[in-house]
Amino acid sequence: MIPFELAEPRSLAEAIRLLDPDDGTVRPIAGGTALMLMMKAGVFRPAKLVSLRKIENEYAGITARTDGLTIGAMTTLADLERSADVRRYAPIITRTLLTLSNVRVRNVATVGGALAHGDPHMDLPPVLMALGASVASISPDGKRGPIVGGARGHLHVSGVPRPLRRHVHRRDQLVLGQDGLVISGEQVFHQKETDAVKSARIVASAATEKATRLNAALLRRTADASVEEAEFVADARGSVPYKRELMRVYVERAVHAACTKTGRTDGHA
Amino acid sequence: MLEKLHTTAKVGSQIGRSLPRTESRDKVTGRAEYVHTMRLPGMLVAKLFRSTVAHGRIKSIDTSAAKRVPGVFHVVTIDDVRKVIPDAYYGPAFHDQPILAVGKVRFVGEPVAAVIAVDPHVAEEAVQLITAEYEELPAVFDEVEALTSNVYVHDELRPAAAFADLKHLKGIKNTNVALNYRLRRGAFDTAYAKAAHKFEHEFRTQKALHLSFEPHATIADYKDTGVTLYTGSQGPSFVRTEIARLLGWPENKVRVKVPYLGSGYGSKLYIKLEALALALSMIARNPVKVALTMDEMFYQITKHPCTFRIKSGVDEDGRIVARKCEVLWNGGAYADIGPRVAQKAGLTAAGPYDIDNVSIDSFAVYTNVTPAGALRGFGVPQLTWAYESHTDMISRALKLDPVEFRRKNLMRDGGQHTTGQVLKDAAVEKVMDLVLARMDWAQPFDRGTGVVRRGRGFAIAIKAVTTPTTSVAIVNISADGSVTLSCSTIDMGQGSNTVMAQIVGEVLDIPAETVRIAQCDTDVTPYDMGTLGSRSTFHMGHAVRLAADEARQKLDQLRRDLGEPKGSNISISDLFKKRYGMQAGNIIASGVYKPDYVSPDPETGLSANVTPFWMISGVGAEVGVDTETGHVRIDRLINVIDCGKAINPKLVETQISGAALMHLGFTMFEKMHLDGGQITNASLADYKIPGIRDLPLMMENLTVENIQHNGPFGAKGVGEVATFCVSPAIANAIDDAVGVRLTELPLNPEAVYRALRAKAGRPLEVA
Repeated sequence: MIPFELAEPRSLAEAIRLLDPDDGTVRPIAGGTALMLMMKAGVFRPAKLVSLRKIENEYAGITARTDGLTIGAMTTLADLERSADVRRYAPIITRTLLTLSNVRVRNVATVGGALAHGDPHMDLPPVLMALGASVASISPDGKRGPIVGGARGHLHVSGVPRPLRRHVHRRDQLVLGQDGLVISGEQVFHQKETDAVKSARIVASAATEKATRLNAALLRRTADASVEEAEFVADARGSVPYKRELMRVYVERAVHAACTKTGRTDGHA
Repeated sequence: MLEKLHTTAKVGSQIGRSLPRTESRDKVTGRAEYVHTMRLPGMLVAKLFRSTVAHGRIKSIDTSAAKRVPGVFHVVTIDDVRKVIPDAYYGPAFHDQPILAVGKVRFVGEPVAAVIAVDPHVAEEAVQLITAEYEELPAVFDEVEALTSNVYVHDELRPAAAFADLKHLKGIKNTNVALNYRLRRGAFDTAYAKAAHKFEHEFRTQKALHLSFEPHATIADYKDTGVTLYTGSQGPSFVRTEIARLLGWPENKVRVKVPYLGSGYGSKLYIKLEALALALSMIARNPVKVALTMDEMFYQITKHPCTFRIKSGVDEDGRIVARKCEVLWNGGAYADIGPRVAQKAGLTAAGPYDIDNVSIDSFAVYTNVTPAGALRGFGVPQLTWAYESHTDMISRALKLDPVEFRRKNLMRDGGQHTTGQVLKDAAVEKVMDLVLARMDWAQPFDRGTGVVRRGRGFAIAIKAVTTPTTSVAIVNISADGSVTLSCSTIDMGQGSNTVMAQIVGEVLDIPAETVRIAQCDTDVTPYDMGTLGSRSTFHMGHAVRLAADEARQKLDQLRRDLGEPKGSNISISDLFKKRYGMQAGNIIASGVYKPDYVSPDPETGLSANVTPFWMISGVGAEVGVDTETGHVRIDRLINVIDCGKAINPKLVETQISGAALMHLGFTMFEKMHLDGGQITNASLADYKIPGIRDLPLMMENLTVENIQHNGPFGAKGVGEVATFCVSPAIANAIDDAVGVRLTELPLNPEAVYRALRAKAGRPLEVA
C-alpha cells in the first residue's frame, strides 16, 4: 500500500466538498472493511480517502416508525444486528446479520458502505431490496438526491467503480437460501443474491402476494421462471448447471417456507 | 496475575498435567515476537516479481523502470545473485530450486526478480514496473500425465548430497520422476490372480494450502564475518546447514534465530525464503526482509495432490490376501521434501491391515505448478483417503459388515507391519473400538426424513514417524536454582515449549512453569532435525529428559563433593553458594537422542525397524446429506488417536481438534483451482478455510490409554495424527446416507449433487 491522504471531516457537507466524483483516486471511506481489502490486494490505490467516521452523529442510528425503519448510513452492522426495532420489524435482517461476515467486520462495517460498495456478493443489499427499502442519497453538489426504491432493482451506488474481485466469505453461495426468504406482512420475497444471480430479477419474479397463495404446481413454475431469468456465473464455488439447480431448489424452498412460516430453507423439518 | 500464576505452580508430577501453554499470555497481549512484524535497524525490504507463465524460457527481463522508482535500492535478477552465490540452487532432497529463476520459469508465481527498497510499498510499486518476456514451453500439470509425458520440468535431476539413497539419481535426464519408492512383500501377482474377489479403484486428492496465519518471512543480515537469519522456520538447524553450504562457510558463521511461529503445518520446513533473503542481503549489504503476503503463499508450497490406484484381492473368508498400491505424488516444479513424502508415506500405503502379499510403488513427480511439501501428515491423509474408502467399498460390495471386515484384517501388536517390522504399542483395534463405542455403532441409526438422508462411516489409519532423526537439548541450572532449557524445537502453536518444560520439571522435581525455554538461536540452541512429522515430543522429549537427568546427576554429584549427607535438603542456591562462595556458576547438561533404524532394502522396501513408534488414528462421522442440493452437514465427528501417554492432555485435545478441523476443510471444500497452471483462487477471498459455521454439530477428541514403551514417559507424537481419517470417514458416511461414492476430494456440495444425479440416471450437464 503506498501512502495516501486521509481526511476526517466533521460534517457531511465538508465531506462532500472534499470528494471529487471525477477523480477515481478520491473516495469516501466508512468502516473500510471492503475498501481496505481492495487496497491490500492492490486493485485500488487511493490518493485521498475521506473518512466519514467523524461526521454528524445523526447519520448513525435507527429510528422505528409505524410504516418502517429509517437506518442511518453510518449505522454499523453490529448496531443493526442488535437493534430490537430491527428484530421486531424485519427479523430477516437480524437473521442475515448473524451469518454475515464476522463480528469484527460487523463492528465497523456500515449499512451505507454495504450499499455503496456494489459488490454482488454482499448479503445485506438484496435483503433490503426484498424488503422494499429505499435509499436517500445526497449528490456532490449538495442537493438531496432522489429517493431510490429498492423494489425497482436499483440502489444508489456510489464509491468504488468496480466490484471487489476478492471478498472474504465465511459461507459461500452454496448455503444460498438457508436464510433465503423475507416474510414481511403478506409479502414473500426471495432475498439472497449470489455472485451468480441478479437479485433484482428474483425479487421481481418471486412476486409478493401471489406467493402466499401458490399451490405446488405454481410453486415449481415460479422457481423455474426465476432460474430462466437469472444470469449465472461459474466460479470456484460451483458450475453454472449446479447453480441453476440450487436456485430452483432454494426458490421453491423459500416460497414454501414463507407460506408455512417456518423460515427453514435448509431442507430440514 | 503473574504472582498468582507463580504461586499456583504445581510441585509434584508434571507429566499428565494440563498446564496451560506457557507462552499464551505474551501471545494474547500482543507481546510475542514474530519475524513478520520484526524490524532491524537499517533494514530494507524486498518484494518479488513472479512468473506469469507455467513453463517458459526467459527471453528478457526489463528492470529499468523499477530501478528509477525513488526509494528503490536494487532490482535483482539471478545474474546479480550468481555474483555473490555462484551455485544458487537449494532444497532439502534435491538442489533443484534456484534462488531466482535461471533461464527458465517452471510454475506460475515462480520468483523471477526482486526489488529491494526502503519499504514494502515502494518495493511493491516498483515490482509492478518490471516486465519479462517468455518463450512459452509446453507444460505438464497432472501427476498421471507427468509420469509418461515428454514434457520435462527439469533437464536433469540434481539430488542433494545429504541423502545417500538419492545419489544414483544424479544427472538422470528425460524424466519427471524425482523418486520411486517401492515395497514388495510376498507375491502380489500370484495371490491376486487366485483371489476370489478382486477390487480396483482410483482415488484423487486436490491441491490445497497450509495457510499458516503468519505468512513466510525471513530477515537476513549478512556481514563478511557472519550472517544472522531471523526466520519463521520449523527447521532452523537445516537452514543453518543449507546456508553454510551455499556460502561455503562453516556452520558456526551462520546464526539462525526463530521467535514464535504463527503456525507452520509443514510449510516452513527445510529451506524456503532463507536463501533468497541471504542473497539479497549480500547484494544490499544491509539487513533485508522478505515477507510474503497471504496471497503469495499460494506460490510458495502446497499440499501434494495425489492419485492413488489401489487393487485388492479378497478370499472367500473376507481376508485381504493381496494389495497393490500405485501412488503418484504431484510435487510441483521443485522437489522440496516431496521425495521424502513419497517414500515415508509410501511405506504405510497398504494401511493398518495384515496382508501377506503387497506391492507398493510411490512416485514423486515433477509438474509445472507451485511446489508441494509436507503438510500435517506427510502424505498419510492422502493415502488413508484412498485405502479406507477402498476398504469400505469392498465391504459394501461383499455385503460384509465394515467393522468385522476390518477386524478380520487388522494388524495387531506382535504381528508384522507391511514393512516386516514387528508391531508394538500400536493400538489399532483399541482406537477403532473407541470410535465405534462413542458412535453407538451397535445401536439402530436414524436415517433421516424427507430430503435429508443420514449416514455414518468410520476409518482407521497407521503412520510411521519420519526417521532416523536426531535431537539435542541442553539444560542449564543457574546459581539461584532456576532452570533454562535450550532446544531448537519450534513452538508454532502446538505447545512444545510447555511440554518440554513439563519434562524438565518432572525430572528435576520443579514446577514446569518455572522452567525457562530459550528462544531458538542456533548460536546457543543445539541441533534438531526439525519440528515436523509429530516427532518433537518423542525425539526432543527424550533428549530433554536425558539432559535433565544428567543435570540431576550433576547436582547429586555436587552434593556429594560438598560433603552433604545423603538425603540432605540443601537448596540448590545454597549448594552453589557453598561451592563458589557466592551466587555464581552453572550446571550444564545435555541430552542427545536418535532412535535405532534399519534402512529399508532398496529392492523390497522391507526393514525390521523403519520407525520407533506408530501413530494410530480413527474417525467416525455422522452426516446428513441434502439430496436436493448435495449439502453435507456433519452431525458428529469422533476423533480418536493413540498418542501413548498424554504428557499434557489439554494440549493433546487441542492438537486433535485442530488437526481434524484442518482436514475437515481439505475434505469438504478447500481446493486450489488451476487453469492452465494459473491459480484462479489465490487469495483468502476465494480460497475458503473452515470457519465456526463449518464445525461439526458435535465433535469429540479422544485418546486411548496406551503406553509407548520406548517413549519419554510413555509418550509419542500427536500433531498430525487426527488428520488421517477425516476424509474417508465422511465419504463412507455419505455413501451410507445416499449410496453414492466419491473418489476425489473435496466432497463439496456440487460433487455430491452430481454423484446423486448420476446415480439417478440424470447426470447434470458438464459446465
